[in-house]
Formats: sequence, C-alpha cells, structure tokens
Amino acid sequence: MEVSTVLQSLISGLTLGCIYAALGLGLFVVYGVTRVLNLAQGEFVMLGGMLTVSFCSMGVPLIGAILLAVFVTVLSGAFLYLFIIRPARGASGSTLAFLTVGFAFAIEGITLLVWGWEYRSLTNFLGSSSIHLWGATIFGQAPWVVGMTVLMVVGLFFFFGRTMVGKALRACADEPLGARSVGISIERMALLSFVMAAGLGAIAGATITPLTMTAYNVGIPLTIKGLLAAFLGGLHRAEGVILGGLLVGLAEALSAGLMPTGYHDAIALAILLAVFLARPRGLLPSRGAAE
Amino acid sequence: MSVISTTKSRVASAYRLLRVPRPALVLLAVVAVLPLVGNPYVLSVLINIGLYAIVAMGLVLLTGLAGQVSLGQGVFYGTGAYASALLCLRLGLSPWLAMPIAAAASGLLAVPIGRAILRLRGIIVAGVTLTVNMVFYYLTISVSDLTGGATGLVQIPRLPYPKVLPYTTFVFYVTWLLLIVALILSCNIAASRVGRALKAVNLLGGGSEDTAQVLGMDVMHYKVLAFVVAAVFAGVAGSTYAHYTSVIEPHTFNVQTSVLVSIMVIVGGVTSPWGAIVGAALIVGLTEFLREVAPIILGGPTGAYELVAYGVVLVISLLFLPAGLCSLPARIEQWRKERRI
Repeated sequence: MEVSTVLQSLISGLTLGCIYAALGLGLFVVYGVTRVLNLAQGEFVMLGGMLTVSFCSMGVPLIGAILLAVFVTVLSGAFLYLFIIRPARGASGSTLAFLTVGFAFAIEGITLLVWGWEYRSLTNFLGSSSIHLWGATIFGQAPWVVGMTVLMVVGLFFFFGRTMVGKALRACADEPLGARSVGISIERMALLSFVMAAGLGAIAGATITPLTMTAYNVGIPLTIKGLLAAFLGGLHRAEGVILGGLLVGLAEALSAGLMPTGYHDAIALAILLAVFLARPRGLLPSRGAAE
Repeated sequence: MSVISTTKSRVASAYRLLRVPRPALVLLAVVAVLPLVGNPYVLSVLINIGLYAIVAMGLVLLTGLAGQVSLGQGVFYGTGAYASALLCLRLGLSPWLAMPIAAAASGLLAVPIGRAILRLRGIIVAGVTLTVNMVFYYLTISVSDLTGGATGLVQIPRLPYPKVLPYTTFVFYVTWLLLIVALILSCNIAASRVGRALKAVNLLGGGSEDTAQVLGMDVMHYKVLAFVVAAVFAGVAGSTYAHYTSVIEPHTFNVQTSVLVSIMVIVGGVTSPWGAIVGAALIVGLTEFLREVAPIILGGPTGAYELVAYGVVLVISLLFLPAGLCSLPARIEQWRKERRI
C-alpha cells in the first residue's frame, strides 16, 4: 500500500471528521438543553451554504454573505423552536423528533422552490489553493474547514465554561428543575440552544460548500452522519461528539482509500453502527449523574 | 370471576380463530366494484395507496402497539422487492412463489436487526434505523452484480394473471386484497395475547418495559416479534411493487420512503390499523395532486410543493391531532357532548 494513499485518507478523513463534528455539536447543544433530537440540523447546514452562495452571487463580499446567511438561518432556528417545538412542550421524544422532521421537509421543499435542484458551489475562501504533500493533496478549503471546527470547539468550551449564559445553559441540561428554581428561564435557554445550533450549522454550511458543494437535498444525509457521530461518542458530552465526528470521518475516508470501490460507503457505516451497538452509551463515559 | 371470564374468552378465541371486523367487509365490497368505475390512472394511484398502506400497517403494529419507532421500513420494503425480483430473474421462480419467500426473507432479515437495535431505548432507535436504511441504500447501489447498482433491476416478470382483466386492475385487486388480509391480521393481533403483551411494553401508550420485565415477560422477544411482523408486511408490499412496475431502483427504498411511511402513520393515527390506510390515502393523494396540479398553476419544479406539504401536514397533525385523523370522529363526538352539557 502506498504511503500517499494512507496520508491522503487521513487528511480527507480529518476534514470530513471536522464537518461531522460540527454537525454533532449542533445536535449536542439542542439535545443537551431540550432533550430534542433535532433531525433538521443538516437543513441548517444546507441553508447556510445555499444562502451564502446566493448572497455572494448578489455581489455581497464573502464575510457579509456568511453573516447574512447565519442571520437568516438563525431566524429559521428560532422559528423552529417558537412555532413548532414550544407549542408541543411536554410531548414525547419521538413526537418532538418528528416535529423537526416536518420542519426539515418544509425547508427542503422551500429551498427547492427558491433555488431549484442544481448543485451550487463557492470559490475557496481567500482563493486558497491546494497544497501537495508527499503525493497527497490538501484541498484549498480543507484548512478552513478544520479551522472552523477548531474555532467552534474552542468557542463552545469558552462559552459553556466561562460565561454566565453558558453556565445557565449547562444548568438547564443537567437539572432543569434546579435551574428553574434559581431563576433561569428554561424557555429562553431552549430558544438560545436552537438559535446556537442554527448558527453553528450555518457557519459549517458556508465553510464546507467550496469543498462539498450544496443542494436542497444534502440535509438529510448530513443529519444522519451527524447523528452517527453524536451517538458514537455519546450525545451527553461535547468531547464525545467531537471524537465521534472524527471517527466517522476517518472511517469513511480510510474505507474509501483502502476498500474496494463502491462498497466503502456501506462498509464504513456498517462498522460504525456495529461499534455503536457494542457501546450504546457512547465511547466516552458519562460525567457524573447523567441520565 | 376473572378466572371464569378468562376461560370463557379463551374458549371463544379457540372457536373464532379469526375475527373479521365488519368495516373490513365493507372495504372488501368497495374494492370489488371500484375498477368498474375507476380509470387506469385512478387505479394506479389506488395501488400506490394500497402498497404504502401495507407498509404503514406494519409500522402501526410496531409503533402503535409495541411503542417502537422505526425510520427504516424502506429496508424491508426493498428487501421484499429485490428478493422477489431476484428469485424470478435468477432462479426462474414463479412470482406467486417468489412473493411469500421474499416476505419471509424480509422477516428473517428483521430478526438480527431487531435484536441488535431494539435493546436501545427511546428516540435513539429512530436515528439508528435511519442509519441502517442508509447502509441498505449504499448496499443496493454497490452490490451491483446482484442488484444492478444505481440503475436497479429491469424486466421483472409480472404476476401471472387472467388475460380478461387489464394488468393494472388485476394488481389493484391483489394489492387491496393483501391490504385487507393485513388489516384483519392486525386487528386480530391487537386483540390477542401477543397484542396485549405488546401493549404492556408500550411506553407511548402508558405501558412500561420495566414493569413487563419484572412481571416475567420476555420483553425483547415481543419487541422483535413486532419488528419482524412489520418487516413481513413491508416485504409483501415490496414484492408486489416489484412485480407491478417490473422495474426497481435503489432510490425507491431510501430514507425518504421510510420517513414518508412514518408520516403516513402519524397523520393517519398510530393507534388503529385504519390509520395506515387513511394516512397513506391522504399523503399519496396529496402527492399526486401537488405533482400534477401545483406546478401548472403556480410554476416551479415538480416535487417541491409536496415536500413543503409533507412538512406542514406532519407538524399540524402532531400539534393539533396527535392521535391522527383516525381519532377525529371520537374527538368530534366528545366535543359535541361537551357542548351539550
């Protein structure tokens, strides 16, 4: 086996892993605070990508386009919580999950109506070009994707660990009743978690579009990969979700490089599923008295 | 007292092994005369409704009775279709023989899958079944020697049929007869010992797995059983679909189909097998209408309006009619009573 093949697989695996970790983090934020399995997380990513492409093509500079895309996606996240999830307070987990499915379908349909079915792409950020390294290629956008995820992780850890609002969110996740009794508005925190998930999703969407392209129907496969990442690592810990994302990405890329062509997608997913079923509580042990 | 009544009901169930609900007979009569008035287009839509309703009815047993969510029924629908097609194309079996074998194959596949995933609890099962469906989809594309890859299988033989009828009419009869059989079976399962056991496991319906377990029930056994029955229903529908269209492709059995079936079950009502029929009729009807009419009136690409409609219908039904359309008559009745008082 060529060294360059392995290196190439590792590089693309790391990049893919960062994408899935970003998705998993969005799922984690919502699930942690509200116990809603948000099956529309991939739609936020798709929406972020499509909106950035649109704003760019209107002549808005990239940074502005991303900010606008994040803004609109965040509005959609707020809509999801305020008008779909909140009215169903107290419903079972599956009802809440299916409500997000409904939202996902509607977003897909509206996207198809507005933008059509064509795949869209962006140019690499700041025109960064591919780097060649011992026979392997690092695509120009890949460092941006990795950097975006690292920033996201650092930002989230800072937010949850150091800021008052972040600590309030964690309180809601750990002990809703206790949080309420010290005066934290659970509803406001729930809204914040959806808004954050939408924002994280939109940023991820804008960043991965030059690499993966985007279209109205990329949301569901992204959600599934994000779910797998989150389940693998354990939905109860951010570190677990990041680890899970990297594992999913690496498994996918390594099997694409090493396994017979055609079979690799199925094999990678099946292996990951088997790992999850062997350790259904997640690879990382839960911290303290989690449910 | 209770001992006597149990004995009585046991005797009764021994004598009347299969209870046939009266509305099922009405449905049978309607099905018998429908082809006389419907044109081929209407019949093809009705076939679609019937096939989806069979898959959905399996899911009603699984979700409504046993309280297990699945977003992976496409796997078993697809297994039925591919198994049936391959048995005919490769081994030259008669479609009539291939159909039960394909259904059994779906059921067999459901045993290990069910055993593996039903250990999990709660909403995670939904995510895992989605992933299983995705693995199945990738497999149908990549094992191309067997499945024909992305283009799928073609020239699947039709069901042998009396030439006095058009094929569409014949398939309509087959589909809806199978649906009525599924309906009668579902009603009987719900009223049987197994049905009661499943209700005891159903968290969504007020049961509890832990309580059932403590009372000495083999909970896993019953959950897997419900999963297998649902898979067999889906397998039968898949096999019928393959012999009806003669062409199958992986896309038909992907995640979207599984989610759509779940939407039908939710919209129709998860507590009654009739909900499957109502839900399938509503969603397929809506799809046909929006596919044929909306792009002409409003413009825009085909397929967009139905996606929006699925989402809106699902959300509205979960928020305002969580027990589905099937519960509507009871709700109206209750509302009237309250007004009278």
